[in-house]
Amino acid sequence: MERRWNLQKIIWFAMIILSIFIVVFPIYIMFKYSISDRSSWITGGRYPVPWWPFKPTFEMYKYYLSDTRFWGNGFLSIKIALLTVALSMFFGAPAAYSLARYKFNGKAVLLFLILSIRLIPDISSVIPVATVFNFAFLYNLPVTLKVALAHTLLGLPYVIYIAQGVFETIPVDLEEQAHIMGAGKLYTFIRIILPVALPGLAAGAIYVFLLSWNEFVFSYFITATSSVDVLPLPVYLKSLFGAFTPNPVSIATLSLLVSLPVIVFTFIIQKYMVAGTTAGAVK
Amino acid sequence: MNTALKKEDKWNKFKEGLKKNSFLIWTLLPGFLYIIAFFVIVAFFLLKLSLTSYNGGMTQESLTIANYLKLIESEEFRTAFVRTFIFVLITTPLQLVTGLIGAILINKKFKFRGVVRSILLLPLAIPTIVTTATLLLLFSKGGHITSLLMGEYPWFPKITQHEISFLNKESLALGISILGKVWRDTPISMLILLAGLQSISEEQYEAAKTMGSTTIQNFFYITLPLLVPSISSVLVLRSIEAWKEFIFPYILAPSYPVLGVLIEKYYVQMFDPGTASAIGVILIIVILIGTTVLNWILKKMQSYLVKI
Repeated sequence: MERRWNLQKIIWFAMIILSIFIVVFPIYIMFKYSISDRSSWITGGRYPVPWWPFKPTFEMYKYYLSDTRFWGNGFLSIKIALLTVALSMFFGAPAAYSLARYKFNGKAVLLFLILSIRLIPDISSVIPVATVFNFAFLYNLPVTLKVALAHTLLGLPYVIYIAQGVFETIPVDLEEQAHIMGAGKLYTFIRIILPVALPGLAAGAIYVFLLSWNEFVFSYFITATSSVDVLPLPVYLKSLFGAFTPNPVSIATLSLLVSLPVIVFTFIIQKYMVAGTTAGAVK
Repeated sequence: MNTALKKEDKWNKFKEGLKKNSFLIWTLLPGFLYIIAFFVIVAFFLLKLSLTSYNGGMTQESLTIANYLKLIESEEFRTAFVRTFIFVLITTPLQLVTGLIGAILINKKFKFRGVVRSILLLPLAIPTIVTTATLLLLFSKGGHITSLLMGEYPWFPKITQHEISFLNKESLALGISILGKVWRDTPISMLILLAGLQSISEEQYEAAKTMGSTTIQNFFYITLPLLVPSISSVLVLRSIEAWKEFIFPYILAPSYPVLGVLIEKYYVQMFDPGTASAIGVILIIVILIGTTVLNWILKKMQSYLVKI
């Protein structure tokens, strides 16, 4: 009996190690390429591509971090993400508050509507959105705004979902006391509830920021159909693949630069990320 | 006179109601108007574009079903459809299995559980485009995997003589996109299944233990039946995602388009929003039908598995 239990534990442990390896291996490969010398790739057949960092150097990082094109694209990505956060919060947080606190007719319909927008595949909905943005009267809108408006559509349902959960954890007593002291609903919401809810809302904001930072389909379709020089980072990264001889070191470095903020933030908001992911219609 | 009064009364009541609920209306309206506006735009223009035929980027004819007819006859569309279907058929169950394994591994209590869980969630944190970049580097010519299979590393046996170009062979290219998709999305199914596992009470296992059941019996007679709801939601959600998959096949198997990649080809490269929208509409319909069928099958299976 004792022995069999041990065998089971060994298998379990081996599986844990294996799954960690499967997850970490690609990330390691990226890291390895990014700090390797160019000659780790162009080996001329003398030796296979090394598994370990080859003549470690931060050349590529230095190159990108002093490259104006990279910074231009990076700032565009940041601007889009921040605008997306602002828009989703502005539209989402008050709606979430009312959904969390009040009972009213048609609440179920509204909730269904939030979900249903996520049920349309983004690869289908991107066509009309990109087309509408190319109409004459919208064509001159800044790309930042176009992409951010599209990303808000993706982020809004999550903000409403996450914020609703946050507001539900705040005790109702707080509002009742404020009402007794004569505060109006709006005043209570802005001055009393929002500050208390801020940490939770911040997590939602980060989640939406990452969603926009990582998003490819809308960014790509909208920028590909309008003439722009500056691209969001994921689209910029993709444009490197198409080069005649893609340079792995450069791709790996850029990939890591794009992923780094995401990995750091994800660890911070993991709890909320889990809630957002399991919430139903999942991106 | 009387009716006018009544009317005014009604109007006043309505205004009063508005005033009373003004907070509710002002908080809810902007967000929902935003969603509804986009909903209308998407639904209206998707249909309209799909019913418009284009030639060289110019509108040729509107309100025609030419795009659909063209698609039904085209060999390219049919193969893309079959490819997408195969993609769904492989990806969905595979994600269930990998997710289940992950969930069972994590469900045990152990010292570094939190850390291990965070590590296993990492694929979600990596931008999808970066994941595709990694696979591209690993499997491209002269990359690690081809070198490995050609026996260039002393610790690995030589499997092929010639370099395999993974990205230029249909089955391999699609296989790699499936691999990427599964790698990236396994954490999601893992989390859903983990939540399901944790809701199964310990008492059931203890009761079974007193009756002398083995671990394998436990799994098949307790865990699996009670996990059916979570499994169903994983299968439904993952299959929807697989149908609309774009980025992995787009980067890794561009010569062998699935439906999503075909949309990109027509819309961005061939300036033909009509055909692209028609594919988009078909994709939505296919997803609806696929989900309904899957739900039906799952219901049948559940009534077969859970006998009370």
